[in-house]
Amino acid sequence: MLGEVIRVKPIIELIEVQKEYGSGTGRIQAVSQASFSIRQGETFGLIGESGSGKSTLAKIVTGLEHPTAGSILYDGKPLWTGKQFNRIQPGDMQIVFQDPQSSLDPRMRVKDIILEPLHALPSQARKEKGSEERLHALIARVGLKPDHLSRFPHEFSGGQRQRIAIARALITDPAFVILDEPTSALDVSVQAHVLNLLKELKRERKLTYLFISHNMSVIRYMCDRMAVMYKGKIVEMGTVSDIFDNPAQAYTKTLLSSLPSLHQKKVEPHV
Amino acid sequence: MLLDIKELSVEFASMQGNVKALQNISFSIEKGEIVGIVGESGSGKSVTALTILGLLEKNASITSGSILYKGRDVLVMDKREQQALRGKEIGMVFQEPMTALHPTMKIGDQLAEVIKRHRKLPHKEAYQAGIKSLAEVHIHDPELVARKYPFELSGGMRQRVVIALAMAAPPDLLIADEPTTALDVTIQYEILKLMEELSANRGTSIMFITHDLGVVAQMCKRVIVMYAGEIVEQGETHQVLQHPVHPYTRALIGALPDLADPDEPLLAIPGESPDLRRRPAGCVFASRCAQALPLCQEERPGLEPVQQQNESHYAACWVR
Repeated sequence: MLGEVIRVKPIIELIEVQKEYGSGTGRIQAVSQASFSIRQGETFGLIGESGSGKSTLAKIVTGLEHPTAGSILYDGKPLWTGKQFNRIQPGDMQIVFQDPQSSLDPRMRVKDIILEPLHALPSQARKEKGSEERLHALIARVGLKPDHLSRFPHEFSGGQRQRIAIARALITDPAFVILDEPTSALDVSVQAHVLNLLKELKRERKLTYLFISHNMSVIRYMCDRMAVMYKGKIVEMGTVSDIFDNPAQAYTKTLLSSLPSLHQKKVEPHV
Repeated sequence: MLLDIKELSVEFASMQGNVKALQNISFSIEKGEIVGIVGESGSGKSVTALTILGLLEKNASITSGSILYKGRDVLVMDKREQQALRGKEIGMVFQEPMTALHPTMKIGDQLAEVIKRHRKLPHKEAYQAGIKSLAEVHIHDPELVARKYPFELSGGMRQRVVIALAMAAPPDLLIADEPTTALDVTIQYEILKLMEELSANRGTSIMFITHDLGVVAQMCKRVIVMYAGEIVEQGETHQVLQHPVHPYTRALIGALPDLADPDEPLLAIPGESPDLRRRPAGCVFASRCAQALPLCQEERPGLEPVQQQNESHYAACWVR
């Protein structure tokens, strides 16, 4: 890891990003002055509790919500010009959501679900990337079987559904994948499978991840660097080991000590 | 002994055959004790709670066993007796506080209604008692909160209100089913502390259902590990978590990212939970167990003491 510190190009760069909802007295700062960059090939963790603004940031990065100030560079090019989202190369950025129950269309067959993102691509690329061999290789890689392709989402367990969602994200050969609480709805033993798979896929496909979670242990296990969000602001940022070993901010300390641990019984939070 | 469950089995009728959701469950809870029931989805932990409360769906049938609460079998009580038990003797806190609260009734009135019923007080006194109970769950401005509707409160505040409701009677047993799963960790910490304090001050026993071993470590003196409708291991929490005996308990701890080396894959459990309609003849975990012996496929292991001298740690496993 250390060797890579030498100037790796950032894949995405947020510069003083701000998001305000509402107007006048009802104005809410969902995100204020958020700046960070994610380098090619790293997993960047974003942690915070509900209302901290981490999902708003994900929406801004994916083009679902426009920032009210600041800029975001993807591969050096601005993603937003005012309220206008400058679409990057389609399929280059993908997202996996928390709840596969609601992120998969219940009336679509698995094959159509996985191939759907390709509709955004030009026909030539669509044909290449959507070939039978590629599709079968991909579903085998995420741990699904060929006969699963003709089934509907409700026939699968939570873990299998998340594998479908991962296959859907990877069909376009993305460089950058946003994982928004990808294992929060899963059982511990299923979570272990999915986290292992995500790590393997990252290595094999040289992916860059933005990993959003409220679970400190998952962030520690998955990420290289991380940012802690609190009330719309990034209060601390650094390598995962730095933040876990020497948390600087009071909020990070509270977060760490509130986490029930298997082996330390009853730690008083620092606040 | 406050609660004593013996050989309890529950089945659900379905089109594809009966789902055997609980298979010969036996455990007990002492007065004032906090017992954790831990397991993944389908392990039967919530079914156990619903059975105690008499809240099973119509398609469920109790095929064997007894549930003694203060020496009386809950399962042979009629509907009215069961109803009298619920809320008054046995309080409940569920995962999602919004579904436990009446959405269009002010908090103070909801509390007063419960207190009127259980303590037979006139409305005004019941309302005052409700405000007092809000103060007891550390709500700072109980008069103000009493005038609010559930939607005006945060998740953590709502769960405090639900706990105040559940403790209002006051019950001798509190059944808490994933009470903090929907909450942020800092709020979770406060709610756990509150429940611990209420239990210590009033001698209330808590049956704490969770999927989170960390929460168990923090809250519970004893833990019961469930898998596919059976108890596979039980004992003192620190014993079970630090010296787990059953391969499932070990696998569950190994699957946690908490202590894992980020450079190594997590120890995921191979395979899937068994189909509860066709339970295997042998150990229910055998098909996923790396240490399984031929015997494990054939005969179901009973819950036996781990060591002969140690009568507090039990595991259901042939491999020792």
